[in-house]
Amino acid sequence: MIEAALILPAVLAAICILLGRRTRLVEAVSVAGAGSMLVLGLYLVFRVFDQGSLDEGIWYMDQFSGLMMLIIVLIGSLAMVYSVPYMRHELDSGEVNPKKVAYYYGFLFLFIFTMVLVVVSDNLGMVWIAVEATTLVSAFLVGFHNKATSLEATWKYLIICSIGISLALLGTIFIYASSLPILGEGSDLHWTSLMAVADQLDPAFLKIGFVLVLIGYGTKAGLAPMHTWLPDAHSQSPSPVSALLSGVLLNCAMYAVLRYHVLLTHSQLGGGFSSGLLLLFGLLSLGIAAAFIITQKDYKRLLAYSSIEHMGIISIGFGFGGYWGIFGGLLHMLNHSLTKALLFFGAGNVLQKYGTKNISEVRGLVRTMPFTAALLMLGALAITGSPPFSIFTSEIMVLTAGIDQGNILPAISYSLMLVVVFAAFMGHIVKMVFGEPPQGMEKGEISKMGLVPMIALAVMITIMGLFIPDVLADALRDIIALFGGLA
Amino acid sequence: MVSTLSLDAINTLAAMILLADFMLVASSRMRSLTRIFALQSLAMGGLAAVVAFETGAEHIYVIAVLSVALKAVVIPRFIDYITEKIQVNREVEPLIKIPGSLLICAAITILAYFVTEPIMELGTAITSNCLAISFATVLIGMFLMVSRKKAITQVIGLLVVENGVFLAAISTTYSMPMVVELGVFFDIFVGVVIMGIFAFRINRTFETVDSTVLRRLKD
Repeated sequence: MIEAALILPAVLAAICILLGRRTRLVEAVSVAGAGSMLVLGLYLVFRVFDQGSLDEGIWYMDQFSGLMMLIIVLIGSLAMVYSVPYMRHELDSGEVNPKKVAYYYGFLFLFIFTMVLVVVSDNLGMVWIAVEATTLVSAFLVGFHNKATSLEATWKYLIICSIGISLALLGTIFIYASSLPILGEGSDLHWTSLMAVADQLDPAFLKIGFVLVLIGYGTKAGLAPMHTWLPDAHSQSPSPVSALLSGVLLNCAMYAVLRYHVLLTHSQLGGGFSSGLLLLFGLLSLGIAAAFIITQKDYKRLLAYSSIEHMGIISIGFGFGGYWGIFGGLLHMLNHSLTKALLFFGAGNVLQKYGTKNISEVRGLVRTMPFTAALLMLGALAITGSPPFSIFTSEIMVLTAGIDQGNILPAISYSLMLVVVFAAFMGHIVKMVFGEPPQGMEKGEISKMGLVPMIALAVMITIMGLFIPDVLADALRDIIALFGGLA
Repeated sequence: MVSTLSLDAINTLAAMILLADFMLVASSRMRSLTRIFALQSLAMGGLAAVVAFETGAEHIYVIAVLSVALKAVVIPRFIDYITEKIQVNREVEPLIKIPGSLLICAAITILAYFVTEPIMELGTAITSNCLAISFATVLIGMFLMVSRKKAITQVIGLLVVENGVFLAAISTTYSMPMVVELGVFFDIFVGVVIMGIFAFRINRTFETVDSTVLRRLKD
C-alpha cells in the first residue's frame, strides 16, 4: 500500500517530462495527478490514524509519519494547482518555454516523491539518502529561473545543505555503531529495530550521533545558525516551490531529527540531553529570525525568515517537552505549513503583478488586487499568531509547556520575541496592503484559479483555529505517547 | 585473530589518506587536485578491501570496488571534463595562502585526535584507530571548501568530506548495510553531476567560476 504512494508521484513525474511541449496536457496531468495523490495520501493517513502503524518491511508508517504525509499531500497538491496559473503567466511573459514548464512539473512530482520517501522509510540510512535526494531534486526548482541571483541561491543551497547532510551521515553511522554490540553485524539500521533495544544502546555513541544529526538535518530544517542558505533559496525559487520548501521540506528535515530524539528519549540518556539542544537551537533561530524580520526589505525573504522563526518555535516546543510542548510542536508543524503556503501563494500573485520583491515598491494591494490583499492580510495575522487562527493555538500550547516545565526564562524570551515578530511582520504587510498604488498599475487579480488554493488554505487555518478534529487530536496523542510525553 | 600484516596495511593506507589531505591543501593546480583525490579514494578502497578480507564480510568487497570505480575513476574524470569544458585557468586560487593553510590543517589534525580519543576507546573494530584520520579528513575537506575560490574546488572539498565520512563508517562499524551504502554512492554521484551542471551555468552567466562573485543576495 505504501509503495503506491511512492510510485504514483514518480510515474507522474515521468509522464510530465515525456509529454514535453504539450503544455495543456501537462497541466491536466499535473492537476489530475495532484488530486489522485491527495486521495491516496489521505486514505493512507486515515488508515494509520485509525488502525495504528503499517509495517511493510522497509516501509513503515506510524501516526507521526501519517502527520507528515498529511502535510506533504495537502501542500503538494495545492502547490500543483497553484502552479498552473503561475506558470501560464511566466509562459505568457516569455520568462520560460513550454519544454521547461514540463520539466518544472516533472521535478515538482519528483520532489514530492523524495519527501514521501523521507517519511515512509524505516531504515535511517534510507532516510538520509532521501533527504539528500530532496536537495538534489529541488536544486533544479530553486534554479529554475536561471538568472544570476537564482544561480547563486542554488549554489549556496547545494553546497551548504550537502555539507550539512554529510555530518548527518556521520551521525547516522555513530547511531548505527551504538547498536552493533547488541544487534550484531546483522543490524539493519531500521528505526523500529533500534527502538526495540533503545534502552541498551551505547549512550556515548548516541550523544555524539545526535549532535551530528541535529546539526546535519538542522541545516536542512533551517535552524540557526546553519540557516544561511534558506532566505536565498526560498526567495529565489518560483512561489509554489517556495511554499513546498518552507511548508513541507523544512518539516521533513525536522521529522528526521525528531525520530532520533524519540530514540534518545527511550535510551538510558533520557530525553533531557536532546531536548536541551532542541530548546537551544530553537531559541537561537527565533532570535535571529526576529532580528532579520525587523530590517527586511524583500517580502519573499521576509516570509523565509518567518519560516526560520517557526522552525524555531517547533524546536522549542519539543525542547520544552511534556504533553503540551509536544502537542504544540506537532500541531505547529501542520499549522505553519498551511499558513506559510497561503502567504507564499499570495506573494506569488504580488510578484507577478508588481514585478518586484521590494516591500517599498509594493503599495495599495487592497485597491489593485482586493482578494489577494484580503487573503494576504488574513495569512499575515495568522502567521504572527493572532486569534482565532490555528497558529495562535499551537503557540499558546508551547508557551504553556514552558511555564509548566518551570522553564520560565526561555518562556518569557519566547513570548517577547513573538511580540516583536508580530509588530515587525504586520508593519511590513500593512504597508504593502494599504497606501497609494504605483502610477499606471491596473486593477485586477492575476488569475482566478490561483485564488482557489489560497481560499482553501484560509478556510483550513480558520477552522483549525476554532477546533481540532477528533481524528487528528487522537493521532497527535498517539504520537505524544511515542515521544514519552503522556506521563 | 587479526594478522599483523593486515594491521600494517590498514595503518599505512590510513596514513596515505591523511597525507593526501595535506597534498590537496598544498597543491596549486586544478589537475593535481583531482589526481590526489583519485589517489585518496584508491587508498580508501584498498582499506575497505583489507577490512573485507579480515572480517570475511563479502559485501564490503563490493563497496570497495564501487568506491574505487566511482571516486577514483569516474568522478575525477568528470571533474576534469567540466574543468576543461569551462576552460577555467589551472590555478587553484586559494583565499588563504598555502603555507598558512598547511599550518591550519596541522592544527585541525591534532584537534581531530583530541576529539576522537574518547570515542576510539569505545570502538571494538580493528580499524578504530582510523577514526581520528576520518575526522581530520572531514574537517580538512570543509577547510578546502571555505578557503578556495573556485566553485569546482568546493565540489572537491565536499567529496573529501564524503571520503572522511566513508572512512568513519569503516572504522567504527565496518561500513553500513549494503542498501544504504549503495544509496549513498548513488546520491554522491548524482550530486557531483548536478553541481557540475550548475558550475557550468554559473560560468556561462558570470563568465567566471570564481564563487566569490556569488555575493549579490544578502540582507
